[in-house]
Amino acid sequence: MKIARLIALSAVMTCLSLAAYAQGKPAPKDALLYFVWPQDGATIKGGFWCRFGLRNMGVTHAGDHFQNSGHHHLLIDVNDPLDPNEPIPQDKSHLHYGAGQTEARIELPPGKHTLQLVLGDANHYPFNPPVVSNKITVTIR
Amino acid sequence: MAEIRDFKSGKNTVPPSGAMPRRLAAIVAGDISGYSRLMQLDEEGTHGRVKRIERDLIEPTITEHHGKLVKTTGDGFIAIFDSPVEAVRCSIVIQQNLVGRNASLPKHYWIEYRIGVNLGDVIIETDDVYGDGVNIASRLEGIAEPGQVYISGGIYEQIKHKLVCGYESLGDRKVKNITDPVRVYRVLPDPAALNRTRKRRESILLFLLSLALLVIAGGALWYMLLQPHDKIGNQASAPQPQSAPSVAPIPQQAVPQPPSAPSVAPIPQQAAPQPPSAPSAAPATQQAAQQSKPESRATPATPLASAVREPEMNTIRAGIFTMGSNDDVTEKPPHQVTIKPFAISKYPISVRDWNECAAAKACAFAATGKDDAPVTNVSWTDAKQFVAWLATATRKAYRLPSEAEWEYAARGGTQTKYWWGDQFQSGMANCKNCNDIAAAEQPIKVGSFKPNPFGLYDMGGGVDQWVEDCWHKNYQGAPADGSAWVEAGCTSHVIRSGSWKNDARYVRPSNRDSYDTNVRYPTHGFRVALSP
Repeated sequence: MKIARLIALSAVMTCLSLAAYAQGKPAPKDALLYFVWPQDGATIKGGFWCRFGLRNMGVTHAGDHFQNSGHHHLLIDVNDPLDPNEPIPQDKSHLHYGAGQTEARIELPPGKHTLQLVLGDANHYPFNPPVVSNKITVTIR
Repeated sequence: MAEIRDFKSGKNTVPPSGAMPRRLAAIVAGDISGYSRLMQLDEEGTHGRVKRIERDLIEPTITEHHGKLVKTTGDGFIAIFDSPVEAVRCSIVIQQNLVGRNASLPKHYWIEYRIGVNLGDVIIETDDVYGDGVNIASRLEGIAEPGQVYISGGIYEQIKHKLVCGYESLGDRKVKNITDPVRVYRVLPDPAALNRTRKRRESILLFLLSLALLVIAGGALWYMLLQPHDKIGNQASAPQPQSAPSVAPIPQQAVPQPPSAPSVAPIPQQAAPQPPSAPSAAPATQQAAQQSKPESRATPATPLASAVREPEMNTIRAGIFTMGSNDDVTEKPPHQVTIKPFAISKYPISVRDWNECAAAKACAFAATGKDDAPVTNVSWTDAKQFVAWLATATRKAYRLPSEAEWEYAARGGTQTKYWWGDQFQSGMANCKNCNDIAAAEQPIKVGSFKPNPFGLYDMGGGVDQWVEDCWHKNYQGAPADGSAWVEAGCTSHVIRSGSWKNDARYVRPSNRDSYDTNVRYPTHGFRVALSP
């Protein structure tokens, strides 16, 4: 009987340790990532300074593990969902600002483009829950 | 009520009723364990000893305890008793006596009995006894350990408060051909043995439990820490040195500056002030000739140039090619570039190569992963540290390739969209959806795909590769002499080749991308170049 109880206790503890975990660091629920500029629906001629806003969290250099901090990534014309268990991809549509930049000069070919911001943690993983901005659409003339 | 009759003496009278007499009796079944083995060891000796044991020990003891020996088989016996207490006492006495008899003999000569005792309503005949009760006793004896006495639940209930010995419950056992499971107890001659047994059992179970928990916890921890974050998590905590200002004025072809200023060093001095855009053919060859003279290189603080594994290098002949393309705005305008001879590593720098630098404490972290995999999670600054170490350790002009050199080497003498032609082909490069490699095996070891016409592997796909040049958004104003396009303190540099996570477009030799100078990313690596 005692043995049966011990076995039951161990099963419960095992289940606790197997509780699902995501790769990224935790983010506060009230973190807000947003575009300071441009606004959704803007029409812009030529290149522009894209400005990234972040509320209730901090921006730091990639590789630094400060709590509650991350670095910006700008997704241009990306339609695939982000995989929380993989680092944010690095290519020409996923621009990384690992040095802690909060704005960037963006030049896009003419036409409609979507822009979205994602905050990445020290290892370039999305936070848990992901800190993403709204996806905005801009038109380049 | 029938009485026990003296079967052996022959004074038996036929029971009056003529029906088979049944009685409740305690049945003791005993059997020698390992009898055949003992017989094989010593047939006559064993036989004699067994006979003596039966005659001198078993029969008298049974008689003393008011039981009757029903029959002996070759290696065992069956006895019945009126009293369960006497039956168990008798069994204990037999076992304890046998211990005494065996004491002087080596272990493989021991004659040990297994004894099972059961209480049952059985059929008594002249020279045998039948019934489930007998079968159960035999089965109990069969599962007993040598030298032990196993009793059934029925016996236990009768003797538990009468016989001063300990009992260890072995639970319910399913017995062959018997419907209900039988409760089995092991008799422990001294009560203290029970506590020891119980404690030992408990402690064994607790130990196994904690071991299992530790293994699970360790496995979860290992998986979390090592698997996805492996290259980042295992780096030494040294932060990226802010080396951009000191390293920036590196001319493209020059020997890397030694960290301490040497007093007389004609080669470095010659290289340092030389502007990158000017050298004509004559001073270049002169410089090359002078660089090959070992004695003119005075480097007072050089570490031992001993047995440093140098990467395999391919020599690239001089040439002129068109750099860039019209496929992407960053690759415009296509322009002609003249390349002087240089050497470039056949493969991207591997984990093994990198860790030599780490072992020499000249690189900021130790890379994890298979030795033959390309090193990743390397920033441009990290790559520069590596080439600086390699150059110093080997006293050779190792450096990062310029972007022009990289593209020239990647094209392999071709001007097509990919080095093998204008059409993409699956299985030619390690890129996304380009081959059948499982994600878990990436990055795979260097040199897994076909080399290009210059004999270079992984130029396109595989790992992203840093080059010397600062990032410029296109080629307006780019140099035409194959040198690196650099400025002091630029914050992002050019990264080439694309990685296993990028699609086929990134495999094109003209493809270029940028990344922050001091940031590490899990698909970024590099290869090295060597000035002749």
